Amino acid sequence: MASGYEHAEHHSAIPYVVVWVILLACTALTYLTGTAHLGKWALPVAMTIAVFKSSLVAIIFTHLRESGCATRLVFVTALVFVALLIFFTVADVATRFSLSTPAGAPFGTERSQPEGLLEHETPDE
Amino acid sequence: MSRRGSSVAHEAEATPGFEGVPPELIGHHFSSAARQNEAMRLGMWLFLATEVLLFAGLFCGYAVYRFQFPLAFEECSRHLNIPLGTLNTVVLITSSFTVALAIHFARTDRRRASAICLAITLLFALAFLGIKSVEYLEHFKEHALPGKYYSSEEVKVPGAAMFYTLYFLMTGLHGFHVVAGMSVLSYILFRTLQGRYSSAYYTGVELGGLYWHLVDLVWIFLYPLLYLI
Repeated sequence: MASGYEHAEHHSAIPYVVVWVILLACTALTYLTGTAHLGKWALPVAMTIAVFKSSLVAIIFTHLRESGCATRLVFVTALVFVALLIFFTVADVATRFSLSTPAGAPFGTERSQPEGLLEHETPDE
Repeated sequence: MSRRGSSVAHEAEATPGFEGVPPELIGHHFSSAARQNEAMRLGMWLFLATEVLLFAGLFCGYAVYRFQFPLAFEECSRHLNIPLGTLNTVVLITSSFTVALAIHFARTDRRRASAICLAITLLFALAFLGIKSVEYLEHFKEHALPGKYYSSEEVKVPGAAMFYTLYFLMTGLHGFHVVAGMSVLSYILFRTLQGRYSSAYYTGVELGGLYWHLVDLVWIFLYPLLYLI
């Protein structure tokens, strides 16, 4: 930690400029890949770029490396819990059979088609 | 106990950046300015962690409804104004960069440069809100509104209303954070102009900057999820 502050004594603004340029380049890359209709690869590609961009912001712009262990622990713990929340939710909904919208549910512009219902349901239930 | 005492002494010696802090800026319950800075940073990061988890809940909701209405989400996101969304991403990333520069100038005793960077950040934040409100106006005109208020003629797929519910919730909450961040940064700009920060004491600039980076971070995920896929 001490070395971090000593380093801060004579640090320059160049790393921030470099990170900014990389972030802009990544935004352009996200835009190009996002509008290229990559199909099932669109989501993983976009999320990989987003994770890369956010780690640049979180580690270099916020000086996380100079912070104490407790601060880094807070950061990592938050990330772990976000990962747990998203992973198990997605693992659940991704492995279900395709859901149907119940008739009359306020989700859509109109009622879903009766064939979208489960077998034991009738549209007027 | 003695070990703890020695580590405190060691820390105070080893952090040259915190010498010469005016004693009135150090709380009586902190042994040194370095300790106080560390505690303030930790507190800010704890707060940011709760903010991240708040947004994570919304992202989770997004994931669930995306699986339920893949078609509607695809069509609606294609219908959003992608150029404006991309422009807003560039604006926010650049504002995060100017905040990082403001912190850098504050800790190297260049107060004027720091104040200018903070002012530019505030202008970028205003630009972001302006662009966002242009987009919101488009949605209002199309009646692309959340939940039961959705009556857009453009996308008529079941689930479109759910997309716009999440869209308005996520961008709206993010917008509130932009406004909150702007008030924090204005206060810090005011204090910078008063000459309260120096290389010895710049914790305020640093913590305000941290909040702004969070605002940027959330948008980095919102942009591809809402606009591009």
